[in-house]
Formats: sequence, structure tokens, C-alpha cells
Amino acid sequence: MGLLQNIRLWGDDIPFLCGLREKGETAFAKSGLPNAKTEAWKYSYFNEDNLQNPQIDVEPLKCDGHCHKKEELPFTALQIKYCNGKIHCDDFATPNGVMIKSLAEAIYDGDVKKYLNKSYDMNNFPFAALNTAYLEQGLFILIESKTVLQAPLYIHYCNHADKNRLCNIRNVIVAESNTQATIIEHFEGEAEAVYTQNIVNEIYISSNAKLNHYIWQNEAENAHHIALNSVQVKSGGAYNAFCANGKCKLSRHESYICLLQEGAEAKVNGVYRLQEKNQLCDITTNINHLAPHTYSNQLVKGVALAAAKGVFQGKIHIAPDAQQCEGYQLHRALLTDENAEIDCKPELEIFADDVKCSHGASSGDLDEEQIFYMQARGISEQEARQMLIDAYINEVFSLNENHEISKWIKACF
Amino acid sequence: MSDTLLHIKNLYAEVTDGKKEIIKNMNLEIHAGEVHAIMGPNGAGKSTLSYVLTGKNGYNVTSGEITFKDKDLLSLTPSERAGEGLFLSMQYPVAIPGVSTNNFLKHAINAQRKYKGLPELDTAEFLKLIRSAAKEFNVSSEMLKRDINVGFSGGEKKRLEILQLSLLQPSLAILDEADSGLDIDALHMVAEGVNKWRNENNALLIITHHLDLLNHIKPDFVHIYNDGHIISSGGRELAEELEKNGYKDYIRAN
Repeated sequence: MGLLQNIRLWGDDIPFLCGLREKGETAFAKSGLPNAKTEAWKYSYFNEDNLQNPQIDVEPLKCDGHCHKKEELPFTALQIKYCNGKIHCDDFATPNGVMIKSLAEAIYDGDVKKYLNKSYDMNNFPFAALNTAYLEQGLFILIESKTVLQAPLYIHYCNHADKNRLCNIRNVIVAESNTQATIIEHFEGEAEAVYTQNIVNEIYISSNAKLNHYIWQNEAENAHHIALNSVQVKSGGAYNAFCANGKCKLSRHESYICLLQEGAEAKVNGVYRLQEKNQLCDITTNINHLAPHTYSNQLVKGVALAAAKGVFQGKIHIAPDAQQCEGYQLHRALLTDENAEIDCKPELEIFADDVKCSHGASSGDLDEEQIFYMQARGISEQEARQMLIDAYINEVFSLNENHEISKWIKACF
Repeated sequence: MSDTLLHIKNLYAEVTDGKKEIIKNMNLEIHAGEVHAIMGPNGAGKSTLSYVLTGKNGYNVTSGEITFKDKDLLSLTPSERAGEGLFLSMQYPVAIPGVSTNNFLKHAINAQRKYKGLPELDTAEFLKLIRSAAKEFNVSSEMLKRDINVGFSGGEKKRLEILQLSLLQPSLAILDEADSGLDIDALHMVAEGVNKWRNENNALLIITHHLDLLNHIKPDFVHIYNDGHIISSGGRELAEELEKNGYKDYIRAN
């Protein structure tokens, strides 16, 4: 049985929603799952066998609320929860200037219409097409103009081991002009759980708005995680993302970012740690400078401690009239296992002639001289290696603006 | 009961990579309270000796033995050797980006305390200890915050080595070319720090190819080292003689 199943979803009497789902089905039927010949996915292997034939869960629309417990976090946050891909039925106690609705409610009300599926072309993103075919679960978050959110929004995704599910989730996040907000996404699963998380976030950042996006992807060891963050940034707006990738067996974190107007900027940083055989972590970015004076910067660092595979594909595109842009990109990997593999594909596509761009990539093992120096001072080899790995990764963590969140992720990373 | 700290007996060692024999029938005994200097021309294998003693990877002891405080040194890992009280100040201290000097020192002190069965220091206790030591060796708090040896001048690196010597209080310190690349002030600082640390229970092994440091730290024994072993031993006067005539007479005689 293929991933496209004829199941009954919520809202099949809403023409707008049915139309979108049909488009998603058509696009996915055409592209199918990506394979080795799909350029954007050539280093990764997300076929049906590898995903272990997940099932689509039909009922109910909302989680029945079996787990009301809030996460204990070392910082104040507004908590929102998904269980097994279903939004939790809690009412959201939202602060002034923020509107949070389930996607279903927002579709029913009609206010998400102008954003939904508008930030990317489904034909280029097979999993987002699949996500659209099953459009139902998700959130609509609107940060109203001039709102400065002090506490972050914390979105917690939990998955249980009872069933092998395909969870299609769509979040639409709109930061209106002159707003500031922080969103944290935290992915977890029960130790034995096998499931596929298929997330699409559509993020719209208006003029002079700033959105910090922290992603702590620590899915269950045998889980699969595919995320697309499709982001549009207008004049003077800023999107700052940090993604930490932990245990998950197969994961892909993709950022598709369009800097639409002058002064728009994006920072996309990430770390990954591969410690199980055959683990795969793919970080793919596609940053489009579509206006002059736009800025982007990426630093991604990975550590492969086992016979696992890390992938970094980073593309910076600068449009013909986008003069005086700056786009920087660096990927570095540490391989301590001789059977570890890192595939790196940096791409610069520059059509303007007055820009500053750079890309870099490096990979290597720990420095034996450094290990010996530490040993000669009494630090055991194992501790020395751990300290050096932490130091390597720390460089990325240290760029995070919110030290509390950064410290919290680092402590479990 | 013996006050012998280090005893090297008929030691032969080679570089693992290429199987080249570097140490050939080396013998040396160091007692508590003594200062020994091993002198020899460049390329005589002096640094190799310090690496074999501290257990660096890449060197193979083919025969002979080394005891340190009556223990078989060769059966211990490098960090265990440090825990036992062996300290090596390297010619070129290694820079470690991402590890602050403070963090490094705290890990080193606590690792050695743990090895000795002592409770680890908490942050407050550590800071108290480090502050007074840093003051003594003129190490600024700004320097302690920087990543260890990253962007440090030659003098700063050596100052930090001596600070570690003082904090870790080893029984036997090996200074490998501790004077290389130092100006007169830095040399004074190294000598002063070493002399402060010295007492009747510890010992010092200075490895050097020239005499600058020996004018400030007076050795009790001077050994001339070439081709993997000691070719001549004597008192302080041997160093003075070397200063006049160089190594050539000794090397030729062999």
C-alpha cells in the first residue's frame, strides 16, 4: 500500500481545503518519494522501506487529552502540545497580541487562507505535497503588529510506541510588522516508538519583525523526521533559526528561505550528533536573495561518532538585481568513526555582480596532540575526547541569542 | 624505603611509525629533592624521552623498564601517570579552541583529585584556588577566560605551564625546552615559578639544548645525551664546560 490512502479527513465539505488536498495528491502522485535520482535528495534515502510503511491515523481530530502534564522547562514559556501528530485539545492561554488556533479552526474561519501553501511550490517538495494531501493537523499562529513576546512559544511533539504513524503537521506562523517572538519546537518519542514525522512550517515575517526559531529534534531512536521550513522575509525582517539534531534514525531538516525585500536577513545554524550505526541526518538549506541589501549566514557543525551519515546541502541563490547582498555558509564535520560518511554539497548561484558570498566545508578527526596535552594534565582520554567534541559543537550554541534555551538544549544534546 | 622517584633501566624505545629506534639503552635514576638536566644537540631524541616517560601514542618501548614511585610506569595511561604526579611541560603547549583556560584547569585539577581519591572542587573552591595562583603568576582573569593557548604569546603559554605546575603540585616535573623562544623577563618568570614549587619531596628534570635556564635553576646533575642514551654525567661544572666547548668533543668521543 502506498502512502496515498483514501481516508476520511476532517473538513471534506470545505471546497478550499479539498482543493488543496487534491493538488497535494496530484503533485505527490507525480513526484513519488524521492530517490537517488532526485538531485535534492540524492544523499538521503527516504523510501517506503526505510520509512517502514507508516499508516495514516484518521481519528480523532484532536488528541483526547490523556497527557495533560506540562513539560518542566527551565524557562517560562507558553506551551502547546501535539500527541501522535494530533493537536492537544487544551485552550491556549495566549498573551495579548497573539492569536493561536488549530489549523482546522483557522481553515473554518478562513483567516489562514491567504497563507496556506503560498510560500513554496509543492512540485519541488515531495514530502510537503504529501503533507498537503493530508492537510488537517496544525497550528495557525499570528503575532499581531508591534507585539513583543517576552516568553517563547514552546511547541512539544510527543509520539507513542503503540502504532507506526505518519504524522502530517502544518504550522502557519505569521509575524506581522515590528514584532519580536521566539518559537521553540521540541520533538520527542517513546524509546521504542517507530513513526514518521512530516512537518511543514510556513513562516511569514513582515517588515522589521524578528522571529527566533529554535528546533530541538530529539525524536525516538527508530523514528523518521522530515521537516520543511518555508520562510518569507520582508524588508528589515529577520529569521534566526537554530536546529539541534539528536537521536532520530533518519532525519531531514530543510529550510527554504526567500528574502523578499531590502534589509531582510536570515541566519540558519545547526548541529547534529550521529552516534548510532546507519543513522542519517540531512540538513538542506536553500536561501534566495531576491532583493538588494539582504543578508544570510549559516553555520552547521556535525559530529559522527559511529558508522552513520551526515549530509549538508546548502544553496545560496542571488537574483540578478539583488546587489550588495551578503551570503555566507560554513559546514564542518568531525568524524571519529572510520566508517562514518559526510556528504557536503555547497552551491552558490550568483546573478548579481556586487555581492559578498562565501562557502566552506571541512571534515576531520579529533586532534591527537590536543588529546595528549589534556591527558598529560590528568584528564582521561575519554573525558578529553568528550571535552573536545563539546568544544567543537559549542561554537554553534554560543551564537544563540537566548542563553536559557540554548543551555537547555545543550544539556540534553 | 627509598627516596627514588624515577628509575629508568636499560630502556630501548622506537617510533611506532617506521620502527626507528630512538632510545638505546637509557639509564637514569632521580631522587626526591634533585634537579637533573639532560642536555644534548638538536635531534638527539630528547623530546622522545619525555614522550616515552609520559606515555604519548606513537612510541614503543621494546625493552627495559621505568619505575615511578616504585610503580611500573609503562603499565599506566598518560592520565594515570599525571595522576601519580608526573608533569610534562611541553616545548610547544597545544592550543585547544573552544576550551577555556578556566574550564581546562578545573577539569585537570579535578581529574587528578579524583585519581587520588580526593573530593572534586566545586566552582567556588576552584575559583578561590585559581585566583590566588593566577595572581602569583601574573595571569590575568581575562587570560583565564580565553581558550587555552589560543592566540597566546610564547611567554603567555609558558606562564600558563608554570601556573599549572603550581596548581597540580606534581612529584616530578619534566621541562622540555622550557626556555625556547622566551625573552629574559619570561625566562626569569619560569625560573622563579619552578624554584617556588621545588622542595625536598619533589624533583625536576630539565631537557634543554642550551644553558639559559640552567643559569637560573641550578642543576645538581648534568647528563649529556646523544644517540638515544646518556654519554656522560657530572655535576653543574659539566654544563659550564659545555658552554665553553660545545657538544662536539663528547659526540666525537663516542
